[in-house]
Amino acid sequence: MRRRVIGAVSGIATTMFLAGCATNAPQDTWKPKGPNAKIIDNLQKPVFAVAGIIGVIVTAVVITAVIKFRDKGQPIPHQSHGNPALEITLTIIPALILTVVGVFTFRTVFDLAKTSDTEMIINVTGQQWWWEYDYPVQNEYGITQPIITSGQLVIPAGTKVLLRETSRDVIHSYWIPALNGKRDAVPGRVHLNRIEADKPGIYAGQCTEFCGLSHANMRMEAIALSKADFAKWVANQLKPYTSPAENTLAKEGEAVFMNQCTRCHQVNGMKRADGTPVIAAPDENIVSGAAPNLSHLMSRNTFAGATFDLLNKTCRKEVWGADSESFGAKYLSGVSEDCLNQTDLRGWLRNAPGMKPMYSNPALLASTGGKYRGMPNLGLTESDIEKLVAYLLTLK
Amino acid sequence: MFSTGSKYFFGISFLGAISFAIYMFLIGESAIGATALLGLVVATGLLTALTLTTRDGAKDEDGVAASTAAPTGSIWPLIAAVGATLLLVGTITSPVVTLFGIVALLAALIEWTVLSWSERASSDVSYNASLRKRLLNPIEFPVLAAVGLGVVIFSFSRITLAVNKSVGATAFIVLGSLVLASGVLFSIRPNLKRGLVTAICVIGAVGIVAAGIAGAGAGVREELVLAQEEGHYVHQECGAEKSEYFDKLPLGGVSASASVAAHIDLVDGKLIATVQGIAGEQQSITVPRSNPTNIVFRNKSDGEYRLVANLGSKMVTDGVKEDVVQCTQLIPQGSDQMLTLNIPKPAVAGKPFTLTVPGLAGQSIEVIVP
Amino acid sequence: MAIIERSITSTEALVSATPSSSLGALKRPVATTGWKSWLFTVDHKKLGIMYSATALFFFIVGGIEAVLIRLQLAAPNGKVLNADLYNQMFTMHATTMVFLFVMPMAAGLANYFIPLQIGARDVAFPRINAFSFWALLFGGIFLNLSWFLGGAADGGWFMYAPNSGPIFSPSHGIDFWILGLQLAGIASLAGAVNLITTVLNMRAPGMKLMRMPIFTWMQLVVQFLLLFAVPVITVALFLLSFQRNFGATFFDVSAGADPLLWQHLFWIFGHPEVYILILPSFGIISEVLPVFSRKPLFGYPFVVFSGAAIGFVGWGVWAHHMFASGLGPVSVAVFSISTMAIAVPTGVKIVNWTMTIWGGKLQFTVAMKFAVGLIVLFTIGGLSGVTHSVAPSDTQQTDTYYIVAHFHYVLFGGAVFGLFSGFYYWWPKVFGKLLNEKLGTWNFWMMVIGMNMTFGPMHILGLQGQPRRMYQWTEARAGEGFFNLAFWNRFASIGSLVLTTGVLLFLINVVITARNGKVAPLDPWDARSLEWMTSNPPKEHNFDSIPTVSHLDEFFHRKYEEDANGQMVKVKTAEQIMKELEDNADAHIHMPSPSYWPIVLAAGLPVIAFGVIYSIPIAIFGGVIVLFGAYGWAIEPSTAPDDDFDPPATTKDVVHVG
Repeated sequence: MRRRVIGAVSGIATTMFLAGCATNAPQDTWKPKGPNAKIIDNLQKPVFAVAGIIGVIVTAVVITAVIKFRDKGQPIPHQSHGNPALEITLTIIPALILTVVGVFTFRTVFDLAKTSDTEMIINVTGQQWWWEYDYPVQNEYGITQPIITSGQLVIPAGTKVLLRETSRDVIHSYWIPALNGKRDAVPGRVHLNRIEADKPGIYAGQCTEFCGLSHANMRMEAIALSKADFAKWVANQLKPYTSPAENTLAKEGEAVFMNQCTRCHQVNGMKRADGTPVIAAPDENIVSGAAPNLSHLMSRNTFAGATFDLLNKTCRKEVWGADSESFGAKYLSGVSEDCLNQTDLRGWLRNAPGMKPMYSNPALLASTGGKYRGMPNLGLTESDIEKLVAYLLTLK
Repeated sequence: MFSTGSKYFFGISFLGAISFAIYMFLIGESAIGATALLGLVVATGLLTALTLTTRDGAKDEDGVAASTAAPTGSIWPLIAAVGATLLLVGTITSPVVTLFGIVALLAALIEWTVLSWSERASSDVSYNASLRKRLLNPIEFPVLAAVGLGVVIFSFSRITLAVNKSVGATAFIVLGSLVLASGVLFSIRPNLKRGLVTAICVIGAVGIVAAGIAGAGAGVREELVLAQEEGHYVHQECGAEKSEYFDKLPLGGVSASASVAAHIDLVDGKLIATVQGIAGEQQSITVPRSNPTNIVFRNKSDGEYRLVANLGSKMVTDGVKEDVVQCTQLIPQGSDQMLTLNIPKPAVAGKPFTLTVPGLAGQSIEVIVP
Repeated sequence: MAIIERSITSTEALVSATPSSSLGALKRPVATTGWKSWLFTVDHKKLGIMYSATALFFFIVGGIEAVLIRLQLAAPNGKVLNADLYNQMFTMHATTMVFLFVMPMAAGLANYFIPLQIGARDVAFPRINAFSFWALLFGGIFLNLSWFLGGAADGGWFMYAPNSGPIFSPSHGIDFWILGLQLAGIASLAGAVNLITTVLNMRAPGMKLMRMPIFTWMQLVVQFLLLFAVPVITVALFLLSFQRNFGATFFDVSAGADPLLWQHLFWIFGHPEVYILILPSFGIISEVLPVFSRKPLFGYPFVVFSGAAIGFVGWGVWAHHMFASGLGPVSVAVFSISTMAIAVPTGVKIVNWTMTIWGGKLQFTVAMKFAVGLIVLFTIGGLSGVTHSVAPSDTQQTDTYYIVAHFHYVLFGGAVFGLFSGFYYWWPKVFGKLLNEKLGTWNFWMMVIGMNMTFGPMHILGLQGQPRRMYQWTEARAGEGFFNLAFWNRFASIGSLVLTTGVLLFLINVVITARNGKVAPLDPWDARSLEWMTSNPPKEHNFDSIPTVSHLDEFFHRKYEEDANGQMVKVKTAEQIMKELEDNADAHIHMPSPSYWPIVLAAGLPVIAFGVIYSIPIAIFGGVIVLFGAYGWAIEPSTAPDDDFDPPATTKDVVHVG
């Protein structure tokens, strides 16, 4: 009975495990898509195999003992206190196995820490509950002035990118499983994490250090583009701001935006009627001191810490499902009015904390000196929302 | 043992204390209520003491004859008198003196009460003495030990404040070794004469207290006085004059070993930035907005220099703008200083944020805030 | 303090030396029945039962929290709990299970069985023992009061700074958490000192350290770990407390601090803590396996020394919790290697258990089933542990469900299975009745199946990229196909209900046994160690006469001898051995008297804690209670006077032992 149960259970478990691995999860740690993740994968697969074999052996020995030596009326065994030779052998064998694993681990740790061959640098800053990316000036990629974006990290494929991670408030962790292991972003410190994608595509990730209320909603994606496509992306990001044409809904939206949103959100190049630049002051309103820069918002696919899609279901499927050749063009086309995920964007503008839990209850702001953590409910009217959506769609 | 009356008053006193605590917690506003309750506690406390001492006025209790032995000499009347005097003197001199008076009076009250209570506990004098010890030693020993240690520690602090820094350290080491040596002596010679052990301890304690009094008389060392006059405790790094007292080993801190975003080196009159994770020398550093970022300035040139971060200007009041600058201390060759930048906004076009060194023209590192 | 015994001056029959009345505040309480006998007891057995009952209660609380977590995660975008409540739930689930279930349960068993196993009549400091228990109970209640006073702690049991700071967690939850743990820490420290002294000083004549039962050995290692680990977390909690309540800046970056300081402090405590949780269970099954295999523990010295080695090396591996924290490659590599090193002594234990049952005469009682279950389940947990001792691989796995799976195999499959093995094994000793074996078998299988259904799929979830501590998961990241992450999440949630049923069966078993359980024979399992050489349940003074020990497994060797053919044959029954002890009974055994003061002193502590959070005068009031308790403790007579005893003592000689 016992034997059959154990057999059945282990059989089912093995089958399930193997079948379970056949799915196509976007954050699968066993499907590396870049050299760094592959280095890790090459190390961990043999370790898993060895651990698995040892596990099977131990279980088999225990089950054998359970069956073979169950009380069948045999005499009480000799009261032997052990067998030191056997004991020492069985100590040395695992020690040896671990030594071999240790040597390879040692090498891999230092391989992964190498940064001397970096080809591109991006500063990554975490805050509750989104990621900011800042591309310092790197003329070889056409980045002639700093680019600031958020949520989706755009990198050229086949390029060794070094992420310099830090945080503005609590500890976060940057993790794109297909490209590399995770690395914490710690306030006050700069941590290095290198990533490289073999092919163009979209690689999902998630903040993995518990960072407060909306930790579950702090996501990110890495977008790898071919070098040519990346140059196009850079050029688009550096495109100067154009105010919407007069007497359009979008122009009215710009006014609403200037009135309501620029306290925290920067749109580069935006000017007031008198010609002075509009500079956001998130440090006065938000604990972390930053809010996503919304210049070229519609060149991204997601918003609110990559929690929500800017693309509706159909268009999203096209981008996520694209093969590596056609991916670049699809991503670069950005978000058009037809593709816009109206429900979530409008819902967000209507009541942001209702969609993503954030500490924006005014009653709880005493300890922060009145500063919010995350976007509060702005109490916008439906017509304001209509105008804002029209305006945001112009931020290509 | 305890008379009915004393239990009654103690009960009231205890309940009063609890109501006082609850009252303070729940209401806590009214001083009158608090005073009234505290008054109740104190009054019934005194009554408890009184009834305890007199055993509710009963001559004997349960057939136990009170000791007829003459009372032994006691120091507590004297201390009570001194306490009362101090209390009065304090009202015209300093509240501290009053405090001492109150403490002495309280101590005398408790000791006296228990003493007189115990002397009439039974007819057996030695039993009565042991009863007194049983009740009071658990209070006396910790209090005396705390006071004694406090006096020694305070005296020692006066010594170290008065003498030179290195002398102070030496004294500490010597004294520590002496204590350790005596400890070792006592442990390897457990049969040492009690008098000798006491003598060693007393001489040590008296020595320290005497030196402490001398130290207090001499006042704190000049260096500290100077530092205080100079306003050591307010940071004036950007002032024209040179500070003498500041943290000269800023990189010794826990965080500085790991949390440095960039190093700014002054090498042969040139300002060079090295940024973590970026190969080669840089002429600019990137600091994310609203993010405390540590940078380290290392002076590797002959002469004394400081690093100044020019971070634009901010509106102080309407229409009045003030330059935002942050400076390190003026440091000689081979020293370093840490600066924590926290910049809320990007620079205005055409007026970039920079790191410069006063006295060196043409050398600057741009601080980019995206 | 300590144990007080009359000198043995007469050979008269055993005299019960229980005080019968009490007089006034300076006397000690004397009740032997009723609630007073529990409230003021200093008897290690009563305290052991109270510890375990408390732990069991918090096990249920933590279990309810766990089930709520699984219900929330059963479907995408779960709506059972909101984000805030979910964060509190997983924080408190871990805290409760670690600090209020496994630790007190192990402490309870240690309290009950260490004196019995080493042939002592009580622990070294009976009143401190009582104080430890009350401090723990009040700490646990205090911690959980936060649920009703504005929400529990929401920073995770690891409480990483700066997320635990006043800005990021403005409610009082974390304050309650800090102070509750401080109280539990006081309890652990006092308990550790007590048990170490007991084990080192109060063993029966002839019981050398290497003849000590293995459970006592493992507990000794645990107490040393506690003695050194608890002060570290105490310091860390003080820093956090000052940061939250008094404006200190220990973890404030803009004041020049480094938030990683907290992580180091926490894990220097946190890693030894893992061994504090698991070693008692290792000890339990090292007792259970030999008994039901009819063989001594294979390689006793190896098990002892590997336990001690785990205790030592456990201090050098803390940073493996921080492989992704950015420590730099040198630290990471070194801690990776040291973590692998600790797998070796752990492996030794598994080898020894396996070799113990190999060649034995195995009886599958429920206790034995749980013990064998532990070997297999803990091996799985241990091996998944080895996979993430490989630091690069850990950067993919840490903070995912893979880790959740790992430590639940270690702590549920290991620690909890060991404790359940102990319940079934020792129940007749403590309560004199046998737990129902049939129901127990159901209990075991439901728990095995439930635990594998719950935690097994988490390996897959983690490796396929589902992070921990997320109040919701979305289908967007769940992958495709039938066996996608949604399936496994649902599967695990169903498993958690099976597991709950298993635990409920245990509780039902307890109730049924209490009502009409089988009365246990004197030696129901044909056991091997000293705790079985007395009645069920043991008398208040444990042993009528202290046995002289000449073997490891003393009890077994008194019962069995080798005959001419080298066969083990029974030469004496347990009843005969008991009779021998009774015949040589010590006259007038004087046990420590109960005391009012431990509970008074302990009651002051949560009052101070409330005061720290709400208002300083309350803290002062609590301090007064503590001082009052300490004063009462100091002046109370070391034992009830002779007149309190019935019948009155025949001699005035009182000998202080230990």
